[in-house]
This record gives sequence, structure tokens and C-alpha cells, in this order.
Amino acid sequence: MLTIGIDVGGTFTDLVAIDASGRTVFAKSLSTPEDQSLGVMTGLEELARRLDLSRADMLAQTQRLVHGTTVATNALLERRGAKVALITTEGHRDVLEMREGLKGNRYDLRSPPPEPLVPRELRFGVRERMRPDGEVLIPLDQDSLNEAIAAIRRSGATSVAVCFLHAYRNAAHEHAVAERLARELPDVGVSCSSDVLPQIKEYERVSTTVVNAYVSPIVRRYLERLERRLTEAGFAGSLFIILSHGGMAPVEEAARLAAATVLSGPAGGMAGARRSAAMLGVADLVAFDMGGTSTDISLIADGAMTLSADSGLAGQRIALRSLDIASIAAGGGSVASVDNGGIFHVGPQSAGAMPGPACYGQGGEAATVTDANVVLGYLDAAKFMGGKRPLDVSAAEAAIDRLATSLKITRIEAAAGIFRLVNLKMADGIRMMTLRRGVDPRRFALLSFGGAAGLHAVELARELDITRIIVPTTASVLSAWGMLTSDLRYEVSRTHFESGARSTAGEVREIFEGLEARATERLQGWFDGPIAIERAAEMRYGEQIFEIDVSLDGIDLSSPSLIAEIEKRFHRRHEELYTYASRDQEVVFVNARVAAVGRVATYEADAHAVTTTKAAIPRGTRRALFGERRDVPVFALDELRPGHMLQGPAIIEAETTTVVINAGDALTVNGFGWLDIRLCKAQGI
Amino acid sequence: MSETVDPITRSVVQHRLSSIVAEMGEAMLRTSYSQILNSSRDFSLAICDVTGRLIAQAEHIPVHVGALPWATRAVEERIRDVVPGDMILMNDPYHGGSHLPDLTVFVPVFDGERRLLWTIVRAHQSDIGGATHGAYNPDATEIWQEGLRIPPIRLAEAGRMRDDILDMLALNVRNPYDFRGDLAAMIGAAHLGERRVKKLLAELGTPVVEAAIEAVLDAAEAQARAVVSTWRDGTFHGEALLDDDGRGRTDIRIAAKVTKRGSDVEVDLSDSDPQASSFVNSSHANMQAAVAMAFAYLIDPDIPKNSGALRPLTVKAKQGTIVWADPGRPVTLCTSHPGNEIVEAIVKALAGSCPDRAMAGWGRRYRIAIQGENPRTGRGFIWHMFHARPGGGASSGGDGWSSIGEWHSAGGLKFGSIEVAEARFPLHFRKHEFRPNSGGDGQYRGGLGVALDLVLETTRPALGNTAGEGTRHGSAGMLGGEDSAPHRYRLLSEGRPPRELRTKEVGIEILPGDYLEVRSAGGGGWGPPAKRSQAARERDRLQGLVTDDAEAV
Repeated sequence: MLTIGIDVGGTFTDLVAIDASGRTVFAKSLSTPEDQSLGVMTGLEELARRLDLSRADMLAQTQRLVHGTTVATNALLERRGAKVALITTEGHRDVLEMREGLKGNRYDLRSPPPEPLVPRELRFGVRERMRPDGEVLIPLDQDSLNEAIAAIRRSGATSVAVCFLHAYRNAAHEHAVAERLARELPDVGVSCSSDVLPQIKEYERVSTTVVNAYVSPIVRRYLERLERRLTEAGFAGSLFIILSHGGMAPVEEAARLAAATVLSGPAGGMAGARRSAAMLGVADLVAFDMGGTSTDISLIADGAMTLSADSGLAGQRIALRSLDIASIAAGGGSVASVDNGGIFHVGPQSAGAMPGPACYGQGGEAATVTDANVVLGYLDAAKFMGGKRPLDVSAAEAAIDRLATSLKITRIEAAAGIFRLVNLKMADGIRMMTLRRGVDPRRFALLSFGGAAGLHAVELARELDITRIIVPTTASVLSAWGMLTSDLRYEVSRTHFESGARSTAGEVREIFEGLEARATERLQGWFDGPIAIERAAEMRYGEQIFEIDVSLDGIDLSSPSLIAEIEKRFHRRHEELYTYASRDQEVVFVNARVAAVGRVATYEADAHAVTTTKAAIPRGTRRALFGERRDVPVFALDELRPGHMLQGPAIIEAETTTVVINAGDALTVNGFGWLDIRLCKAQGI
Repeated sequence: MSETVDPITRSVVQHRLSSIVAEMGEAMLRTSYSQILNSSRDFSLAICDVTGRLIAQAEHIPVHVGALPWATRAVEERIRDVVPGDMILMNDPYHGGSHLPDLTVFVPVFDGERRLLWTIVRAHQSDIGGATHGAYNPDATEIWQEGLRIPPIRLAEAGRMRDDILDMLALNVRNPYDFRGDLAAMIGAAHLGERRVKKLLAELGTPVVEAAIEAVLDAAEAQARAVVSTWRDGTFHGEALLDDDGRGRTDIRIAAKVTKRGSDVEVDLSDSDPQASSFVNSSHANMQAAVAMAFAYLIDPDIPKNSGALRPLTVKAKQGTIVWADPGRPVTLCTSHPGNEIVEAIVKALAGSCPDRAMAGWGRRYRIAIQGENPRTGRGFIWHMFHARPGGGASSGGDGWSSIGEWHSAGGLKFGSIEVAEARFPLHFRKHEFRPNSGGDGQYRGGLGVALDLVLETTRPALGNTAGEGTRHGSAGMLGGEDSAPHRYRLLSEGRPPRELRTKEVGIEILPGDYLEVRSAGGGGWGPPAKRSQAARERDRLQGLVTDDAEAV
């Protein structure tokens, strides 16, 4: 029996297989952006080879295949989604384009507004109206609906979003429109707001529904094609897709709620981080994934990942709950520049994959973070990507020299400056995230993964007074590996917009029981194991605008003092987050939410017994900057064994990553073969 | 300067300081209590030095930022012998403040004995006492009717809060609970900034940080001068008009004479009309802030907004005019008006010097607040309208943004959900959509305002108050572009003739079932209409943004 995780990234498709004994095998293939399923099939071929099986045999033995995809992400980023029309309440067809009156850069008054995903001529107001309590104020007017349908037919739109005011409370009109559309425009996809995000706040709902309509057809086509190819190749198990909330769902559900797949890729990485935290027995972890163009950061606090509904992508608001991941425009390819005031910056521009850093030798001339790492001696130019893609040192030096000349400093000073500034930027990103969550970064350990992370993890941890860094051996395929431990998850919510004082225990109980029944029923269609229920309420004080998530796990729904119990939890959570609670103030419920969670069996590798107590033997030395330029020992990661210990300064190299530790820092190889680094308090590099 | 600082350290310090103010902002957003702060984000954060130079600021409300150096200088003049643990509070427009609702907290940052910097939090209070709720009082004839005046005072002495002072302040506002919560958030954010600045001083050494700050200011100056030196030299004139003072005096003129030479810009507002008897006067600090805001909009958006960037700018004005009122005059409207008109007059003038940078006019603010009884709860309610945002001006970059706000907020003020408003208040939003034909025509069209039809579902009469501008004058067209349609608000009532609302009214009677027909202004157009492309015109028609029926709104 096998389980397989597949993560499709921008450059590589990563695959991980685990068998029932816990044996773990990795493979990589080149991604194929025009049809991601091709790269997946090539990767499966490679994975089978490493298992000494034929692909058909391997797939026949595979019980579960978990997949993270960037199809929706790319469609949104590159604006290659469906032609969408919107049917909405008459008199309110500009909600999408008004964007709540907000724009980004406050001092930029000359950039024109962004084009909405649905242009105004495809937004149709239909005569109908619900009241906030769900009562019909104006019945759905068939004539105006007929006009809208006729216009949509003429327009050639291939997907329709339906979003009426207060449909979270009464969805009858949306359902009636969906039925008409199914009859009269059978080839057109339909997304109703009451299915996608049945929650109060029209901008968030309409934007999320439109995004869903925009990406849904392309996601559905892709997943159906992948499923077909897998079946043809002999796969008879279940295919699941990772959603932005970190749980997984079957293909049909991922295609229905395609807007929930836009963070599918990074969600896998966070699942890997959570799995790592569990294996290490660490409760508080910063997941730090630094790649070529950007760095993704998220927190695991008290063993749990946080979900937030604040996310968006490519300027589009997507209010579905997703893992709280902050993306910072800083990576190996970030470009260093000097502005016309003589101030030096790193990023946000990136050299990308083409031309890439100067040292890639593809014609790039800008000095990047990777070039700085080469000049500083941290990266071994000859062994980059296991020697498959050696770097051009002189090109890196020339790029850094150009920068140094304009700043009138030395080459090494310029390179060290790039290194320092990019660390500062990422440390700020982490600090901001902990501030938002009301936690102190110092109690966290830093989990370093992604190609460029090991070079910077130690110094940016020092910046934050974090004292422990962990580099798992699975770092380079962490997403694919993490997916294998994801749970099946189905979330439902319902708006109950009412003050605590005006709610009754019976009413609230009924809402939760209804949601639980729905969620359980849905999950039972996918899964026959035991189902756990998670409950939460989104609440706030009367005059506040941000709701906070209050977990209601373990609460007794049958308690007569249910309302008081829930309010108590809200005050406590508010105090945790923002240092104060206002116990005499009006408390408002906004949304009730329930997740049904199905836990799947996973095969775990056990920690190995410590196999050595000897000091690690370096493979050689390299001249690099550690306070001054000096020769430091270089270790090969695959030669390190559980129990090995070493002291910085040192460089540890693997095929796809390099880890730099400084004088006084101590490294231990743990039972899984992972690097566990403790920092000394001294000043950094 | 004794200490020289390498370019890397300079960048590190600049980056650090801006991330410190950003963190202060995040702390405010997450901990403040009232809606005006945590939703509308009407607050700002800054670090100034002891001479009042602005070192770093977080991008929140542009009109606050240029005002803070003046507030800092007023604190320095008035408060002597500041010791560690002191904390200063102020709001008075005649002691360096802008208008009374903008309460400002200052925390000193020391290196040992030596005082170097202030971390500053300014936040607009939802109430500050005075004759009317929320400080906007069109009837005020003197500042004492606008609220509680606080010159720079010590709110904490050597680490001890002055609870007696705090009690007195809280007693003088209508919502002491929010007031205390918001003030606690401001104090927390200022202290967070202080801690982080001290850590920076400890890490790099005070002389290094001080030298780096000089270099950072010099760099911003060099960037600003590099931009200004590309503009055409000369003396240019621009003017903008306030509708009225609410008491029959109309078309109050703000006149800007702008002289651009080399990399220097002198703005002279001395020819502006005499001051008014109502709250449309500007305080001195607010006038300075509005000029700085206009300048900041015209240079590049990514130049750090610090005192260095403002060095090319000199400001002249005359006390006793509408832009700089005599002590005792009411000024509450000034951060919007004449703040917006000062910006507009300067941008109009500089259109002759840097046409590609001069954007057409953004909308004017026209508030309405409704107070009544909610029949669903039997309790009183007060609702402030943030909906129906006006349009933004067009520019050489293209058409203006629709439904985006005024010069002084520029897309920084969020309007709340209609569904939430309907669930909480006895209101029915029959319509809230772009207002066709409201954007000024031009090579690039102004953004559109909004058409809002709002029905009051009360069972007893409610009262409305207005405070604003822009029913006579639309947003200015630029370089041949046309002005936008002005605001038009009407009250429609069964059995009563339609009533045009004025921008400065108190106690408008709104009967059950009445509806407000709100039509907000668009943004100004940029460049001659004849140059607008046929394709753009066809698209405007296809989208229904421009129609044949000019009255169809």
C-alpha cells in the first residue's frame, strides 16, 4: 500500500511516496505549465523507478493520491480565467468595482484603477430584493431575469456568478436563477454566492463568488483530465486536492469550490510544517519558506495553524477561510538597487527565473541576493543544484561590483549589505505576523525550508531573538510530503447577525446542529472513517468592525447558559489577542462555522536511534565571510548522522539547499536526520 | 557632522524606522476600540526629532502627516524638562494641532540622559465634547463650541499616569468608554515605537543612528529635488473655491501663487480670502499639512515622506485668512475643507509646471449623520454615512477611480457593508451604484460618484446633520478637462416637496418612509475632451457610465 503526495510548483513538480512501513521516497520532474498533468505523469514515472516498480504497478498499489495545484492561482495571476457574467440585485451592480472605496498606495494618485474580473456591461441587475431577516421584499422578476439571460447568451460568457443581497439569509432567488440558467444555458457554469460563501458582507461575497466563477471551469477541466490520465495509467485509489484551508477534498468538491484552491500550493508547505512540529513535539513554530522570488511565512501557535478570511490574490478579494500565510517579496532573485537619493534597497523587484541572478549566466546583470551569497562564499558555485547547474562567479562579482562602485564601498561590503537587508525584510514580515496574532516571536522555533531559506534562517532568527532553527531533510519537498498528513475537511458557515443579549441558547444550538448535520452528511459521501467536528463563532464588540474567531470546541451545546459560555470565550480570546476585554460591552455574533474533519491513516517514519556520538567530519573548507573572510569547514548533509554535533562557523550543503551557521551556534543532528540549531546570543555575521 | 555612516547602515536605519511606524500602525488597528479608528483607519503614526523634523511616518492619513512637525514644535516650546516616562497629550489647533478631534500622544525616546526623538500617534476621536456629537458643528462661531481644547500637557510624569487628568478628559466627552479604550491603544502604540527605537539605538549606537537619520533625510531631499528640477520654472497661479460658510457667504477663494525655480518650490497662499465666522477656517498646522500633501502627491509616490522630502518647499500665508484663522475661530471642518481646496489650488497652479503630474480634482467631503430611534430594538441610533464616495480625478495615467473618496483620504477610507448597515440600522439601500455622467469629461475621464437612494425605516421622525462642501463646485478639471458634476443631496418625503439639502445644516427632520437621494460628485477630467479616444467613448456608453440623458442619474 502506498500514499503519494504531488506538489506542482513553478519550476519543479515534487512527488513523495510513503509505503506502509514508513519508507519515504522522493522524486522531482520539470513542471509543465501548459498542462500540469503531463509533468505529474512524468514525475510518477520517476517515482516508480525509485521504488523499483513499474508506474502501473505503483499506481495500482496506491490507495490515496494527494495533489496541490496552482492551476487556479495561475489563472488568476495571469488573468486567463473564464469570461464571467454577474447576475445581482438591481441597483447594486457596482459592488465589485467599488472595492469598498479602498485603494492601495495612498500617495499614488496617477495609477489608473484595476479592471474588475467582470466588466460593467456583463454585470446585470435583476429586479428582486430580500430583507436582512430573509423576508422577500420584491419577488424575483421574471422579465428582468429573461433580459439578463438573453444578454448573457449573446455575450458568449462561459461562467455566471449569481449574488443577491442578503442571499446568505434566504437563497431562494439565487437558486431559482441557477435553475433557469441550468435549463436555458446548460453549457455555462454557475456559481451562487449562497453556495460559495453564505455570509453577510456583500463585497466579500460577490468578489469571492466571481473569483470562483472565473477559475472554476479551468480547474474542472484540469482535474478531470488528470483523473482520466491517472485512471488510464492504472490508478484505482482516491484523488484528493489540497485546499487553501489546508484540508483536502475530492475532485468534484475542488472543482465546485475552485476559489478555495488558489493557495493549494503553499497550503501543502504549511501542512508539512505542522507535521514537522508534531514530529518534533514543538508547539510554536514559524514556517519560513524562502524561494526565488518570494518568501512565505506562517505561524503554528500552540500546535495549530491559523485560518483567516482576510486573504486575496492578484488584487482580488477571496473571503474563504484559508491558512494565514504572509508572502513577502524577498527571495534569492531579489534585486539590489540604489535610488536617486543614494539609498540602497533590496527588492521588491526580482530577476525571476529568466534572466535570473547574474551568476546564472543567462544575461542577468542586476545584483541579486543569490549573487551576494556567491560573493560572500556561502554558496558553492560549482556545486549548485548538485553540480548540475554551476554558477558563474565572475558574473556575480561583476554585478556586485557595479553596485559597490555606485555606493563607493567594497565588493564584500555591498554583498554583506544585501544579505543583511534581505534578512531584515523577512524578519519584519515575521514580526508583523506575530504582532497581528498577539504572540511573542521569541518563544517560537524557526522551521527553514525552500531552496534559499537555509542561507538566511540563522541570521534572521537572530534578528528576532529566536534561538532555535530546524532544517528538515525533507525541506526540498516539504509540501508534497506534508500533504500526505492532511485531513479531509468540509467547512460550512451561517450568518447569525445578532447581539448576544438578543440570542437564545436554543436558537444558537439549532444553528450549530443544522450545520453539523450538513457537514457530516457531506463528508460521509467522501469518507467512511470517524468524523470530528470543529465549531467556531466569528464575533466582535458592538462598534468594532473586525470579527475574531472564537473556537467553541468542547463547549456543551445543551447547556442552558450556552450564550454566557460563548461570550466568556469571546472575551478571553479578545484579551489574548489585544490585551484587553470589555466585559460590560455588547457582544455581537456574526457567523457560526462548523468544519467536519476526517482523519486519514498516515504512515510515519520513526525517529532513528542515535547512531553516532562522534564529531562530524567536514568534507573540506571554504573561504567565506564570518565577521571577516576566513576558511570555514563545509559538511555534506547526507554524510551527517543522527547524533552528530558541530559548532559554527560552518556551512552544511545538500543538493538543493545550503545552511550557514555562525560562530558559537551549535548544531545537532536529531533522530530523523534533521538539523537542530541553537543560537548563541552573540552578534551575527 | 562628526560621525559618517556607510550606505548599508543608512539603508538599515531607514528600513527599520519605517517598519517601526508600520508596526505602531498595526498595533493601533488591532487594539483601538471605535469604528472610526479600527475601520476607517483615521489615525497616523510618526517619529519626529526634538527639533520637529519628521523622520518617518506610516502611510495612513496624508493630511495628518505634514501637521505633526508643527505639533512637535508646539510641544517643545511649551513643555520643558521632559524626563523619561513622561508622555504628552495635545489637540488644540492654536497650539500646533489641526482640529480638536485629532488627539495626539507623544512619547519621548531617550538615550541615557539625552532626549532624541518622539514617537507620535495621532487619532481622530469619535467625540471630543463641545456643542454637538462628533465635533462637526456648523453652528459654531468660536472654537469653544467645538469641543475640549488641550494644549500640550503631561499625561504621564516620569512613568506615572496622571489619572486625575485622564478622568477630567473622559468626563468631557460623550463616550468616555471608547475614549479611554482608544487612548489606551494610542499610548500602547507609542510605547511600542519607543521600545523598538531604543533597541535600534542600543544595537547600532546612538551616534550612528543619528548620522544615518541625517543621511536618510538628505537622500529624500535629493530624490525630491531630482523630480522638481525636471519641472518648468516660473510663477504659476491656481485657485479653488469653497461653496460657502453656511451663513450666506459664498465662493470663498483659496489662492495659490506658486513659484518654481530650479529644485525649489514656494507656495504663497497670502491672497486667499479673509477668514470665516464658521468652521470652514483652517488652522495654521492644517494649512501647512495641506500644502505638504499637495507636494507629496506631485512628486514620486515612493519617495519617503519625511522632512527631507519637504525641504524644497517653502510656504507663505497670512494670518486672518481662510487658510490661517485668528485664535478662537472655529476650524473643525479644516482637515477636509479648506484642506482639499488648498491642495486643488496648488495642483492647478503647478499644472503649468508639471502637466504630466498634475491630476484633476478629487471629490469633496459631504457628511451626513442621522440620529433617531430604531423600531426593531427600541433604542436610539446614530448613523454616519461613509457610502456614496465621490470620484477621483483623472490624470496623465488614465481615467480616475470611481467611488474612491476625497483629496485628503484618497482611497484610505472604507465604506461599510450595506448588508450590515441594513441589519443594524433601520435603513434600506434601494440603490447604491455609479452615478452616470458624474465624472468630468476629458482626454481622460474623471472617476464616477455614486447614486444612493436610502429609505428610512423608522416609525418616528429622525434628525439629520450635514457637514461638508461641494454642492456648488465640482471637482476641478485639469489642463482642458472638465469639472465633475457637483454633489446633490435631496430629501424626498410623501406630502412634502423635495428638499435640497445644504452642506452645513443641523436638525433636518426626516419622517418615517422618507428617502434620501444622494448623488455624489465625480472626479475632474484631465486634458481636452476632444482628445478622448473613440474607443474610450464607446466603452463609456456600453458600460452606461456616460448616457445621452444628462439628467439620468
